[in-house]
Amino acid sequence: MFSPLDKLLVNPTRLMIVAVLAKVENCDFNYLKQITETTQGNLSIQLKKLKESGYISIHKSFENNYPKTSCSITKTGIKAFEDHFSNLKNYQDLKL
Amino acid sequence: MKTQEQIQLINDTINKTKENLKSSAPNFIFWGALIAILSLIHYGFPDFIQKTRYSALIYWVAIPVIGMVLTVIYNIKTRKQTGYETHIGRALKIIWGVFNVAWILLVVISIFKNQNPVDSILFLLGVMLLITGLLIRFKPISFGGVAVIACSVLLVYNPEVNSLLINGIAAFLGLFLPGLALYYSKSNV
Repeated sequence: MFSPLDKLLVNPTRLMIVAVLAKVENCDFNYLKQITETTQGNLSIQLKKLKESGYISIHKSFENNYPKTSCSITKTGIKAFEDHFSNLKNYQDLKL
Repeated sequence: MKTQEQIQLINDTINKTKENLKSSAPNFIFWGALIAILSLIHYGFPDFIQKTRYSALIYWVAIPVIGMVLTVIYNIKTRKQTGYETHIGRALKIIWGVFNVAWILLVVISIFKNQNPVDSILFLLGVMLLITGLLIRFKPISFGGVAVIACSVLLVYNPEVNSLLINGIAAFLGLFLPGLALYYSKSNV
């Protein structure tokens, strides 16, 4: 029995964001922009969607008078990522 | 996206976000060199360092506190440049933060009890190094921790041994050399 893939994580940008955040404790907006190679606007939209789903938390602060955004993954996000990865492996094994 | 492409994307993304523990090597090198030099100067010029009742205390507290501030500034800058903090990086930050507080407490307690704190500080440092080495899976730091613990045991059982010399040797073996090994390490620590 195969579970359907998480629709939220099928999007490559969101998948990359969650993959990075699963490995680290917290991560800056600029690093995510660099890793995902996307625009600031698109990244903001994707982060907002992940936050609304409870997958990540976003922390806003100021550093040297500049706004700073950092993100971290939630327990819900880790569970979703693990399930998604497990499902991907199952689908891949089925094809092989 | 196909399933294979998604798995590849996850692998590539995770591989790009490396542990980057090499950036902590300058901390070990700096503290190893600083403590070894302070110990040797004190050993070589005891009359000058112990000129007044509190001069040795100021020497051993003021300079390391300045060192701590410099280390904190360096680590904050490194964190900003990297753009992320890993789970191991956070664990190490907590471990060494606790060590700094414990080190200050040990010095304060030793003043009130009029005792030499070197053996206690070395034992604590050795344990911290051993934990760090095991956590990041880097043997030179683990061995350094064992060497520092051995130095503290030597001081406890041989009180006639000069604690300044042992302190300098422990800093060199436990911090400086493993720090260099980490800095020049080719493996992806």
